[in-house]
Amino acid sequence: MVEYVSVFIYFIIGLSLALIILGLSFVFATRKADPEKISAYECGFDPFDDARSRFDVQFYLVAILFIIFDLEVTFLFPWALTLNKVGFFGFWSMMAFLAILTIGFVYEWRKGALDWS
Amino acid sequence: MHSNQLFPNFEFNTVLFENDFKGIFAELFLVYSILLLLVYGVILSTSKEKKYPLLIGNIGWLGLLSLFLTFILLIKNPYSHGLIFYNTLIIDQETQFFKIIALGGSFFSILISLDYMKKEGLNGFEIIILTLLSTSSILFLISSADFISMYLAIEFQSLCFYVMAGSKRDSEFSTEAGLKYFLLGAFSSGLLLFGCSLIYGFTGITSFTELGKLFTPGGQEVVTGLYSLRGCELGMIFILVGLLFKLTAVPFHMYAPDVYEGAPTSITAFFSITPKISILAVFIRIFFEGFYDLMIDWQTILIFSSLASMILGAVAALSQNKIKRLLAYSSIGHVGYLLVGLCCGTIEGIQGLLIYLVVYVLMTINIFGIILFPLRREFINSVQRIKYTTDLGMMAKTNPVVAFTLTVSMFSIAGIPPLAGFYSKAFLFFAALSSNLYLLAVIGVLTSVVSCFYYIRVVKIMYFENPKNWLSFSQIPKESSLVVGISFFFILFFVFYPSPLYLATHKVALFLSL
Repeated sequence: MVEYVSVFIYFIIGLSLALIILGLSFVFATRKADPEKISAYECGFDPFDDARSRFDVQFYLVAILFIIFDLEVTFLFPWALTLNKVGFFGFWSMMAFLAILTIGFVYEWRKGALDWS
Repeated sequence: MHSNQLFPNFEFNTVLFENDFKGIFAELFLVYSILLLLVYGVILSTSKEKKYPLLIGNIGWLGLLSLFLTFILLIKNPYSHGLIFYNTLIIDQETQFFKIIALGGSFFSILISLDYMKKEGLNGFEIIILTLLSTSSILFLISSADFISMYLAIEFQSLCFYVMAGSKRDSEFSTEAGLKYFLLGAFSSGLLLFGCSLIYGFTGITSFTELGKLFTPGGQEVVTGLYSLRGCELGMIFILVGLLFKLTAVPFHMYAPDVYEGAPTSITAFFSITPKISILAVFIRIFFEGFYDLMIDWQTILIFSSLASMILGAVAALSQNKIKRLLAYSSIGHVGYLLVGLCCGTIEGIQGLLIYLVVYVLMTINIFGIILFPLRREFINSVQRIKYTTDLGMMAKTNPVVAFTLTVSMFSIAGIPPLAGFYSKAFLFFAALSSNLYLLAVIGVLTSVVSCFYYIRVVKIMYFENPKNWLSFSQIPKESSLVVGISFFFILFFVFYPSPLYLATHKVALFLSL
């Protein structure tokens, strides 16, 4: 656990450095806001319509797939480290897990969850 | 059994589990066939050459076939007793019995809903896959002998159920049902998990049998001090609450009527049949093996929950005019009766519970088999469904045989003497009386009298009421007519030959208490 102290110190330093850099621009820069300046930027035009829009479900799909395969990786880490201990049984157990996951992947592939048209 | 001390140079190896896989052969087969069906379904249904076929019927029949083969593998498995996979799974007579009911329940509920799903346009074959997956998780849940495997199986099962409840995406009710089921299910799983972690924290044990050894009167003082015994009791109560949530027992029943009503009727049929089987199996396993010596604590809670379920099930269903909601409240009432068997903590109690469960499953299959019939409303040329109880009006004129079948199963579920439902209820009340739970027996009899009112009202609507707009029922699909017929004969003629069921359940109950 001790080695994480340096990470924590590094985190504190990084945070304070970022805050300093952000704060300096507030201290030294000249700020003169006017309506033209603070209006939304849409390629120079005024906004055409309501800012709300339909959200593509594809983003959710990608996020869910990311979570699933991220979990897969967390299961793979300990397996990869202990492969010489768990032997062929451990190897084939993980292959069974990966096979089930691959079937899920085949499913989503055929369903077109990965198509961005 | 296997531990680090036994194998100093500890290495996993296939020999370690050589015989364990034989114990779960049926489950393994089911899982593999589901994976195969999933790949087959997705490849075929997205193929352009085959013009994107709808596979619900095809996959449904193949799923039924795989359930049937699983059943054969299960009953023919010579490897019938044992703790396997590091004491996480158990196989014995109890698991065998419950697995047979669960497989039968899901087999029949798929069979009666095939036609419904085709006609309602629930075209995703994934529903069948999810039904099968939840069946396999139910099989694992029934044989789980450890908190970890129990929790994993419960989550596996519930996750399938959440998706199934919300599977009709264009219906607001179905979406709402899915969301409600998910939120409350996740909450109850959280309670369950907290209970498990408390138990593990105070004892360092996750296995039910070892927990049972720990709580024996000698072990209580030796192994756990008074303080940690209180902690264990707290954990046990959390587990109890979590399981009662899953059983939809009062006061944890809030979501059940909405979920039952919102979900597509075929899914509702599945929900009201199968989850109770698996949760009751694991309930018996935990509380009669692990926590039997803490019975004074859990018995009180169960008695309260059972009384409340019976009363609410009887009273709340009185004012329902939608048939699925009515059946939801009725099933809450039946959970109350089932809990009576658990409260007793005796062989007769367990036996009564098992008999009641089998009869209840068959009656529910019968009723849902009829409710899933398509019908046509006059002047409207589309397929409609039975939604209100009044939709059954004049069914005795249009479909006399179906009306008679529904009448018999309504009488049976109400507990009218020569039918199966009466004997199952009577057995439970005798068990309650013999273990001095007079209040439960009396309230049980009274509530079943009250519930007769709404069951018989359905019969009255079918025979004596003249609705304004007539409904004519289209032809009954062959599969569900078979299922309804078989369960009808069981309900009607159970009285003449009840001994096989009594013997089988007695064997299981006796085995449990040894």
